[in-house]
Amino acid sequence: MQRNRIGAYFFSFPSFFLTMALGVYPVFWALRYMFYDYQGYGTPKFIGLENFARVARDTEFWQSVANTFIYAGGKLIITLPLSLILAVILNRKLRGRHAFRAIFFLPTIFSASVMSIVFYIVFNSYNGIINQYLLKLNIVSGPVDWLGASNAMLTIIIIAVWGAVGNYMLLFIAGLQSIPEDVYEAASLDGVNSAQRLWYITIPMLGPVLQMIIMLAITTSLKGYESIMVLTEGGPFGKTEVMYLYLYKLFFPLTTTGTSVQNIGYGSAVGFTTAVIVGLVTWLYFWMSKKLNNVY
Amino acid sequence: MTIRKILIRMPVWILLMITAGLMLFPIVIAMLGSFKTNLELTTGATVFPLKWQFQNYLDAWNKADFSGFTFNSLYVAVFVTVGTLLVAAMAAYAVDRVAFRGKKLFIFLQSFTLFISIGAVVLKPQFNLMVSIGLQKSLWGVIIILISAHATAFFMIIGFFRGIPKDLDEAALIDGCNFYSTFWRIILPLLRPALAVVALFTFRNAWNEYILPLVFSLSRPDLQTLPVGLANLRYGAGAAVENQLMLAGACLSILPLLIVYIFANRSFMQVTMGSVKG
Repeated sequence: MQRNRIGAYFFSFPSFFLTMALGVYPVFWALRYMFYDYQGYGTPKFIGLENFARVARDTEFWQSVANTFIYAGGKLIITLPLSLILAVILNRKLRGRHAFRAIFFLPTIFSASVMSIVFYIVFNSYNGIINQYLLKLNIVSGPVDWLGASNAMLTIIIIAVWGAVGNYMLLFIAGLQSIPEDVYEAASLDGVNSAQRLWYITIPMLGPVLQMIIMLAITTSLKGYESIMVLTEGGPFGKTEVMYLYLYKLFFPLTTTGTSVQNIGYGSAVGFTTAVIVGLVTWLYFWMSKKLNNVY
Repeated sequence: MTIRKILIRMPVWILLMITAGLMLFPIVIAMLGSFKTNLELTTGATVFPLKWQFQNYLDAWNKADFSGFTFNSLYVAVFVTVGTLLVAAMAAYAVDRVAFRGKKLFIFLQSFTLFISIGAVVLKPQFNLMVSIGLQKSLWGVIIILISAHATAFFMIIGFFRGIPKDLDEAALIDGCNFYSTFWRIILPLLRPALAVVALFTFRNAWNEYILPLVFSLSRPDLQTLPVGLANLRYGAGAAVENQLMLAGACLSILPLLIVYIFANRSFMQVTMGSVKG
């Protein structure tokens, strides 16, 4: 038994070391710098809460927070119901269901950056493939500016939905498989139709899994920025700037647009604020879903 | 009865077909587009290429250095997968089988890294750490950081461990195995199917990682991986953007995953609760 204990320390050490050095330490590193004026060179200067006062005044940042909520909201409103409906359909013994599952899951193997490149070629305004088809079929009279100021966010949401539906469908299917068959059999004896079945049996029975999946969906969509970074870099005019992208730019100014400056102290304060926002949303969601539980 | 059934099923089939069409559309566009000339791609509005340009793939591979990108991606993904499996499986074995002091703290640390996210902020100290050990201009910096993010794999493997009865360890002990040889000779072989699934997810995430290789190759373009090299083509230095090469590159970059996906489709579809992406 004694030897086991030594073995256990020996076996968990690599994991412990890596987690401390590259997972835990960096968080505290950042927590320290949020009280400093630090541009990445020279000596950091302690300035107390001034960085946070600046965050409060930073309209560009709050615009990016608003954009994040538009992006996450838009993505979830389409993704969750669609993936749930697809999961319910494909959980039944339907001809070709394996093929459909495979097709819907296919987009999730694309990396965010690769799929953004493909969609850039599909959607770009002057010679994008969609516009070519639309013009050829005389559906529009001039090219649609898909990535322009008024449409860019919508385009990005479409792309995000495309990449996410298959993943949530699969999670839902896994959840659905835990609902016992005889519940449905009893219901069908009582003459319940399929819409009622979904609303009164499937969704409530799916309860805890549903809660977990929605939470996962909320947090991941609040944090996503890779595809936006590749597709629009937050433009045009900051219309697709989301908070984690704004944050990234404070640490690693983008070379192509070159509009942002590195500012580590301020960036750490922004990072802390974004983490608090995501945490608050998660907490709020938990609180609300618990309330809903009590109502049922 | 049958007509009624068909009428009821009709909307379901229509929904499935439309969604499948929308899902496949960009993929098919990319595949067909990768065989067109740049001119046809940007003004043609054709579905199939007028003339199949297999040359695009050769150009992407040689001219746009996709051979280099692919090598870097493979290098990163293979080492990250092996490293993650080893580190996470060893830790999971210790945590699941032995009661040791600090175990609760260890599990807490693992979940800490899962739940606390301050985005790109941690990239900077991680990068600085790599500078201090001289790995800031090496793919090993990326590999080590990606291995350090093994909490998901750790919890997935723990889940699978629960399915292996502890009696087995005791039997092995009586037969003369010690703590280490039980792990290598009894547990790991039993865990093989589970590890395959974890490996698949780890490989996919490492292969698709964009931000880390981007940061580490800022001053060393020869270290770019596929997602980074591909995205950089869009901002091609001064020259006109060569869409056909980008699409050929995109197809090249998903090819390995596509092959694995087709062969592993079954297990991909069955064990999916651990997948966190979206």
